[in-house]
Amino acid sequence: MKIHITGYGLISSIGFNAEESIKSLRIGQTGIERGRFEAMSNYRVGAITLSNEELKERFELNTDGSRTALLGMVAAKQAFHGHEISDQIRTGLISGTSVGGMDISEVEYKKYLDQTDHNPENYKHHSSGTSSMQIAKELGISDFVNTTSTACSSAANAIMMGARMINNGLLDRVIVGGTDAMSSFTISGFKSLMIFDDDWCRPFDESRKGLNLGEGAGFIVIESEKSRKLSKKESLAVLSGWSNASDAFHQTASSPDGQGAKLSMLEALDRAGLAPEDIDYINAHGTATPNNDLSESKAIQGVFNEIIPPFSSTKAFTGHTLAASGGIEAVFSILAIRNGYLYPNLNFRTPITETGLTPQLKFEEDKEIRHVLSNSFGFGGNNSTIIISAV
Amino acid sequence: MYYIHSIASISHQDSFQNPNIYQDLKELENESEVVSPNYKDYIPPASLRRLSPVLRMGLTASIECQNNVSGAFDAISVGTALGCLKDTEKFLNTFHTSTSDFLSPTAFIQSTHNTIGGQISLGLKNHAYNMTHTQNNLSFEVALLDALMCVNEGKDNVLVGAADERIDFLQTVQPSLIPSEFPLTSGASFFVLSPNPNDTGIGVRGVRTNFNTKNIGDEIDVFLRAHEITRNDLDIILHSDSIPFKTDTKKLNYLLYSGMHYSAPAFAMHIAHDYLKTELKSFALVVNNMCPGTLGLTLIEKQ
Repeated sequence: MKIHITGYGLISSIGFNAEESIKSLRIGQTGIERGRFEAMSNYRVGAITLSNEELKERFELNTDGSRTALLGMVAAKQAFHGHEISDQIRTGLISGTSVGGMDISEVEYKKYLDQTDHNPENYKHHSSGTSSMQIAKELGISDFVNTTSTACSSAANAIMMGARMINNGLLDRVIVGGTDAMSSFTISGFKSLMIFDDDWCRPFDESRKGLNLGEGAGFIVIESEKSRKLSKKESLAVLSGWSNASDAFHQTASSPDGQGAKLSMLEALDRAGLAPEDIDYINAHGTATPNNDLSESKAIQGVFNEIIPPFSSTKAFTGHTLAASGGIEAVFSILAIRNGYLYPNLNFRTPITETGLTPQLKFEEDKEIRHVLSNSFGFGGNNSTIIISAV
Repeated sequence: MYYIHSIASISHQDSFQNPNIYQDLKELENESEVVSPNYKDYIPPASLRRLSPVLRMGLTASIECQNNVSGAFDAISVGTALGCLKDTEKFLNTFHTSTSDFLSPTAFIQSTHNTIGGQISLGLKNHAYNMTHTQNNLSFEVALLDALMCVNEGKDNVLVGAADERIDFLQTVQPSLIPSEFPLTSGASFFVLSPNPNDTGIGVRGVRTNFNTKNIGDEIDVFLRAHEITRNDLDIILHSDSIPFKTDTKKLNYLLYSGMHYSAPAFAMHIAHDYLKTELKSFALVVNNMCPGTLGLTLIEKQ
């Protein structure tokens, strides 16, 4: 069964929508800068410059929620724009998130520790499932709501879950993707892991030291052929392949040869009925940590052998948006198919010695791009790949 | 039919490796504790020290499930509502109070919801599909729905379960996060599902989630009709709040035995399974109506 993509939306530090994001990608303008909030002041991060109140006002949001939920509403509403709720189309929302309402909980918990004005009611936004319920409410969706939470592969897994629910005849149309807000919790967490780069991150570069954190949300609308006939929406691209596999190597580190990553890419190709040489562009996970980029490079070499298609990581633009990254990058992948875009891998100078791979270095358009493979890898060795193809 | 080939629950009941937990159920006292198995039989001591209760419970129940079936799992689907609370609180404490630039990353690493699933794949060296679902009180039902799809897609040996842990702080924020009159507890229940028949003839017929529930009775009827049975065919209804219709069918509020945590419906499925063991051909329905407006329905059958 064909899974049609009939909408997309995103928000990140490089733009409040697709048009603005592409403009930044085109001119090589990163969204990463030294943060303006206290917890981030020492690091370069891809923060969205609107406060929660500004987000609600600017995007006319009617539902209250954590920053994670609000960002999700912005992107999901863009994606669902022009769609209508219908009794004849069973519609669900599946969102990936890792922090949920932590941006509120962590502030409240500090008050608890300081024994000042602690208000237990403010934890009502904490649960990740609640953030998805709030996004669904904003869109008027109630047929099905779910949250996948597998760290940085959460959005890719939400996309995959939605596609499978359509294939299993459980839903007709699903808004799928992910959202994660910046929080002191994750900033301190990655700091404790010592995988931040104080400078701008440099994916796939020999000198890479670590990642820059980002925040944002990305959602796409997928539907069955039957649903598309009812919604009368144009098919923009199709979701042709997906897979999730476990690295089973280490809780946070990837295996040296990228076994889980290789498995997920090969299984996604198999599901799509494609050979490696059919792939025209790889949107890599490419976090710019020494471990991920080497492991992912080796996995790509393992799958594609000698002929490696153009590949790049867009995380030097957006920062690593964690659970949202697979959703944001799915939107980039759709736009690559629609407009023949290839995205530059910012800040690259020198190939990794062990692999010698050079990513796509400049923005290109009007290329013949029929199949894009997008990787998302999370803690716990959770490796996911989706493939988006031309209609 | 999705046959249940192995079950393991760690709970406030004597449930682990108990051949029939239904017969041994006791209503919980207010200050009850998890009845822990000997974790050292399952997890090396060096790892065990680092693992929070929810990770110990989830990993041990999964290993026990693996020990009882031949062949590695070809999919793993885990539900958790609030995830790894102990490590989350620990890391919140660390970064809010530490003045050092160097923080221990262990609690952060183990705070993400999918640490449970990740530890299972690591512990079992399993490279298969590995998913974590978190949807408040319906976390187990969505994980189960995923597992049933895995079987539909041709997988033979699917691990599915749910786990949640209680921390003291949860008591403070209970009204906004997990409102209930029942004592807060912890628990993990895992199952192996397969399309291949088992010795007991017991399996899952179907699961349904509802996010806009107006009339529970109507929703139950629609669900049962889809499986070509009626309320009269049910031998037991396991529920978590009062059932708003008259029925002669045996009823059991599973929260009396599990206590309150959002993975309790998984424990209810274990109770239902063991109840059906001593019955002839029959059906059990697990009704998850602990949160107004949402509903989870799971139908268990003995053939």
